[in-house]
Amino acid sequence: MDNLEIKNLTKIYNKKTVLNNISFSVKNGEFLSILGPSGCGKTTLLKILIGIEKPTTGEIIKEGKNITNLDSAKREMGMVFQNYALFPNMTVLDNVMYALNLKLKNRNKAYEEALKMLKIVNMDEHLNKYPHELSGGQQQRVAIARTLSLNPDIILFDEPMSALDADNRLGLRKELKEIQKKFKTTMIYITHDQEEAFSLSDRVMVMHNGNIEQIDTPNRIYNYPANDYVRNFVTNHLIEKVSSIERCTGIDL
Amino acid sequence: MPKKSKFSILILLFLLISIFYPLLVMLLRVEWSTFPDLLSSTAFKNAFNNSLIVTSIATIISITIAYMLAYTLNRTNIKHRAVLKVLLTVPMLIPSISHGLGLINLFGANGIISSIFGFNIIGESGIVMGSILYSFPVAFLMLDDGFNYIDNTMYDSAKILGMSQWETFKNVTMCYMKKPLLSAIFAVFTLIFTDYGVPLAVGGKFITLPVFLYKEVIGLLDFSRGTMIGLFLLIPAFISFIFDNFTKDYSFGEFEGKEYKIEDNITRDSILTLFVYLVIIFIMIIIGSFILYAFVDNYVLNRVFSFKHFEYVLNNELGKYIFNSLLIAIIVSIAGTIIAYFTAYYTARIKEKMSKIAHILTIVSLAIPGIVLGLSYTIGFRDSFIYNTYIILIIVNIVHFIASPYLMAYNALQKVNPNYEVVAKTCNISTFKIIIDVIIPCTKKTIREMIAYFFVNSMITISAVAFLFNTRTMPLSLLINTYEENLMLGEAAIISLIILVFNIIVKGTVYLINRKEHRRSVERENNI
Repeated sequence: MDNLEIKNLTKIYNKKTVLNNISFSVKNGEFLSILGPSGCGKTTLLKILIGIEKPTTGEIIKEGKNITNLDSAKREMGMVFQNYALFPNMTVLDNVMYALNLKLKNRNKAYEEALKMLKIVNMDEHLNKYPHELSGGQQQRVAIARTLSLNPDIILFDEPMSALDADNRLGLRKELKEIQKKFKTTMIYITHDQEEAFSLSDRVMVMHNGNIEQIDTPNRIYNYPANDYVRNFVTNHLIEKVSSIERCTGIDL
Repeated sequence: MPKKSKFSILILLFLLISIFYPLLVMLLRVEWSTFPDLLSSTAFKNAFNNSLIVTSIATIISITIAYMLAYTLNRTNIKHRAVLKVLLTVPMLIPSISHGLGLINLFGANGIISSIFGFNIIGESGIVMGSILYSFPVAFLMLDDGFNYIDNTMYDSAKILGMSQWETFKNVTMCYMKKPLLSAIFAVFTLIFTDYGVPLAVGGKFITLPVFLYKEVIGLLDFSRGTMIGLFLLIPAFISFIFDNFTKDYSFGEFEGKEYKIEDNITRDSILTLFVYLVIIFIMIIIGSFILYAFVDNYVLNRVFSFKHFEYVLNNELGKYIFNSLLIAIIVSIAGTIIAYFTAYYTARIKEKMSKIAHILTIVSLAIPGIVLGLSYTIGFRDSFIYNTYIILIIVNIVHFIASPYLMAYNALQKVNPNYEVVAKTCNISTFKIIIDVIIPCTKKTIREMIAYFFVNSMITISAVAFLFNTRTMPLSLLINTYEENLMLGEAAIISLIILVFNIIVKGTVYLINRKEHRRSVERENNI
């Protein structure tokens, strides 16, 4: 069943078309990556999905209901940011408990739930640390736990790993995949990193200049690019990879 | 959306009524036909020339001193920087008129020092000295801040390129310091040009433009002429306002905060250290003169310890004036901080067209000299219910001082992670709750500084309130003027000291809280 359906979405800022009549749908429990260079409109799309930005025209349908004009709070969506957006004046535990406590109105329950989530992201050893005392990867784990704990239907990720170093990125990528398997939450993941998109996603949506160039499984995008843009985008990346392997190993591929 | 708009309308309405309405009324009431008369009168020409001369001289000296101080604290191996920085800003804690008073104590007709050497500085040189005294800390703080934003890796590059010291200064230091330096020059020029506290105290027969305005209004009740003179006081403020807002900053965004490597140079260090200590000693001598005058029977005729002056002020409703000053300062600091903070929240974190307008309107208040603002309130609100009450004194102080704390809050709020409100929205937490629980705690240091700024300035101001008080609401700072006019220097010195003590208490408290917080966070980090 389709969890989310986007119909003919257009966004125009100061006469500039940022999103050009795009339509797509996301299935329940699916991991969809939105891949594209900066300025392709992916962040604007995310802002419209979460509800902090209104589309110029078009509709967002969630589980059959039109939520285009619904308040962010009522959309049952969570969001994970590139810069983590953890509250700096609260400890790891309080960061996760803060919203939970307001939602459940029961401190003990909120505590248990927060602890559970922090265990899942392997952060239960750092409960009383403040965000600035953690590494970027650790902070992002806390942010994911905070978002997961409220049990949203859909989680949106806004380039969550682009501020992390390569090591951290690989580790977190694996964990994220496991979390998704475990919770079966629908995830929409914005990135400009092809490897990340292709390794994490059920489907990848390639965007360019406010248009969807292709939306398909990673495998099919590699093997059957829909047009020249996607082909160049994908092959350029491959050529780069191959040449760097060649340089490192000295083997002519 | 509707909530936001209501809030923005409230802010804009406040700014329009409190800043632009009185200015407009003031301008409408002017009898422009007398304008040519004013311009051609000798009194005006003299006052204008006098102002220009003393302001120019005092600005040059003040900036030179401030640059040397900032340079010494940032670029030499001087010890106890933090303490020295605090001591150098002590002059900002007393009214400008008190600096004039201190100079009279020391160098006046029967001054402590001048009577030994047989000279006095009443007039031009007195105004220059007094103006330097209260303006150099302002420039010092601006330049000191400027040094913090220099990308110090540039000095390594300069060395590698083989630049001489002069070339390095010209191409690296000045590249970053040009803007803070020009801003400081404009700020100090405006400050001195529009101040009447110092010239009133030590000017003698040397009349400057603000004193001319003051006398026209207070002495002759000629509001129309007062306004026309006030327009001239607006000129430097306006130029500096336009300069500050329409020139690009030279601190090029973010860079690694690499510390400047200070090279050993004992000659340079000892000369500049000596200079810093001389400045501090001079400040302390001024304050010491208050203590001497306050507790000596009569410095010229009878040099014995006496509580005479203290008893006099105590018996002349000292309690009432302290109450007035504290009442005004406390309400201004609380209400002013709230207004400035939420205006800044609106302009820094809610990006809409109206927020840009609100931003400009708020900082425009920076360009209006206190004496002109006070005059416009006298004319604009004469028939309103707030006239002759504490309310008008409180509002005029908030408006007069709002720009700086507003900018403090604006800068702090822009640095706070822009996604907190989105997190709140998705977690079903109200924006107001996230402001209280997260954004205010993140910016509490700035909030404390804002409160202290409003408090200290409300305690020392005379310019904005000079035309608006009555015998019931008169604050302490104006009492200095009254005593000084009656040649009761001991009594005036006591009032200056009382203001200083209150300001030290408030500033000191803020300093201690900030230091405690800083230490706690350092301790935590060491424990981990």
